[in-house]
Amino acid sequence: MNARIERDNIVTQALGQIGACGLFLLQILAAIPRSLRYVRETVRQLWFVGAMSLTIIMVCGLFVGMVLALQLYHVLSIFGGTAATGTVVAISIYRELGPVITALLFAGRAGTAITAEIGLMRATDQIAAMELMAVDPLAYVAAPRFLAGLIALPLLCCVFSALGIFGGHLVGVTWLGIDNGTFWSNMTATVDVWKDIISGVVWKSLAFGAVVALIAVFQGYTAPPTSEGVAYATTRTVVASSIAILALDFVLTAFLM
Amino acid sequence: MNAAAPSDDTLIRIRGLTTVLSGKKVFDALDMDIPRGKVTAIMGPSGTGKTTLLKHITGQMRGDAGQVQVDGKNVPELGREALYALREKIGYLFQNSALLTDFDVFENVAFPLRQHTRLPEVLIRNIVLTKLQAVGLRGAAQLAPSELSGGMARRVALARAIVFDPMLILYDEPFVGLDPIALNQVLKLIRTLNETLGITSVLVAHELDAIKQVADHIFLIANGKVVAQGDPKTIAGDGSPWTRQFFGGEADGPVPFQYPAGDYAEALGFPRSGA
Ligand SMILES: Nc1ncnc2c1ncn2[C@@H]1O[C@H](COP(=O)(O)OP(=O)(O)OP(=O)(O)O)[C@@H](O)[C@H]1O
Ligand SMILES: [Mg+2]
Repeated sequence: MNARIERDNIVTQALGQIGACGLFLLQILAAIPRSLRYVRETVRQLWFVGAMSLTIIMVCGLFVGMVLALQLYHVLSIFGGTAATGTVVAISIYRELGPVITALLFAGRAGTAITAEIGLMRATDQIAAMELMAVDPLAYVAAPRFLAGLIALPLLCCVFSALGIFGGHLVGVTWLGIDNGTFWSNMTATVDVWKDIISGVVWKSLAFGAVVALIAVFQGYTAPPTSEGVAYATTRTVVASSIAILALDFVLTAFLM
Repeated sequence: MNAAAPSDDTLIRIRGLTTVLSGKKVFDALDMDIPRGKVTAIMGPSGTGKTTLLKHITGQMRGDAGQVQVDGKNVPELGREALYALREKIGYLFQNSALLTDFDVFENVAFPLRQHTRLPEVLIRNIVLTKLQAVGLRGAAQLAPSELSGGMARRVALARAIVFDPMLILYDEPFVGLDPIALNQVLKLIRTLNETLGITSVLVAHELDAIKQVADHIFLIANGKVVAQGDPKTIAGDGSPWTRQFFGGEADGPVPFQYPAGDYAEALGFPRSGA
């Protein structure tokens, strides 16, 4: 009985949060035309969330590609198909691992920073100060960070994919001795620009970027103005983003491919 | 009908303002007229709603009933555009400074100018340095807000509030944390802004001595109403029980010192006396 009430609460709370988040998205979209005045702020945020995430994205991309090649080489060698290693590495990175892992890393690296920053700005009255100086915080604080996330994620995903394939090449060709020509020609012959690269690296990343940035900004904006409130909001950003990314990935895969 | 002619010498007209916050009636049909071009002080015990009153004037908060007219416009009814247009003419000093931590002192003071004007860089520089000089912090222009002391941060926030030479400046506790020298400078500054530019000032403060030097008029609010008003020389001696208790600093009188609470002995777990 008690557990049921508890569960109902969690469900209604989650639904309430999703609803509020959707309304907040509409507010941000409405604020985007006004935020075009603050292009410099958007560029600054792009630097902050994009360029600062480069290192972690590059390192992780490299290792994911290397591990992938290693695993695939051993599986494919059973069937004598090691020549396909490059192809499978590329397709799995473009279609799934690139967008998903980039988005998860981005939520942990940049999403938390956005939430904590906005949460603290509210707690120290900086948001209220902007409102009083007749500067709309939705246009000056929320929209630029949302746009920055939207733009940064596809770019970071490109970097991740490039480094991943480089890692695959490193292990497959340099270490395990697959022929260099075979590696590349099989890959370029099989990978489809539209079905693999555009739908994965571009569409999925754009969707993930929008979701992660929206959740991060929303959590920061609505965090209770206390140290505990900001801490919980930061955690919620990671949890909610991760769930949203993986659920959305399933839906997108079903529709796009 | 728009009641406010430009010659109207009341800048802020509050009528029947009633506000309930978390079950407590903060304002109870409050009426107040703040004259244009004067320095008006609002005093009252801690927690009576002085900060809340300023928030009503800037439209950050809306009351449950009543009117708050600023320069002829009823603030609670204004849309976003109109409210922001009004706020561009209002300077606000926060009780806790609220500097933007992303920017250094110079950029904090320059922020309103950069947002709302297209002035050339040279002019912005001149205006900002003049304001910083006025609060004695021109040398601190390159410091980050985290490198300032509390009193310095207040003075930077003050410079930011006046950088636009607004029509109205609202000061929430401008004298807190200032040393006697800075206090004197800030008092002079408030007076000069008022005399040379005709800026209306509303200040919330507890320091009667400082207020006596700048204010033209004092409102004393308690229990959600104006309980006394008058000019600073006479108000303390007007003989009403409110002013006698408040300016005399006595715990007993009509102004409650305690936030509304239940029985003290009971809360401590003692049996009720006499039972
Ligand atoms: N957001 C809020 N929600 C609920 N109650 C509030 C809120 N803000 C203020 N209050 C209540 O309103 C009353 C007035 O608060 P306010 O901050 O205006 O006091 P004040 O007169 O400025 O006091 P001080 O001199 O200490 O600054 C207090 O009793 C406070 O508990
Ligand atoms: Mg206050």
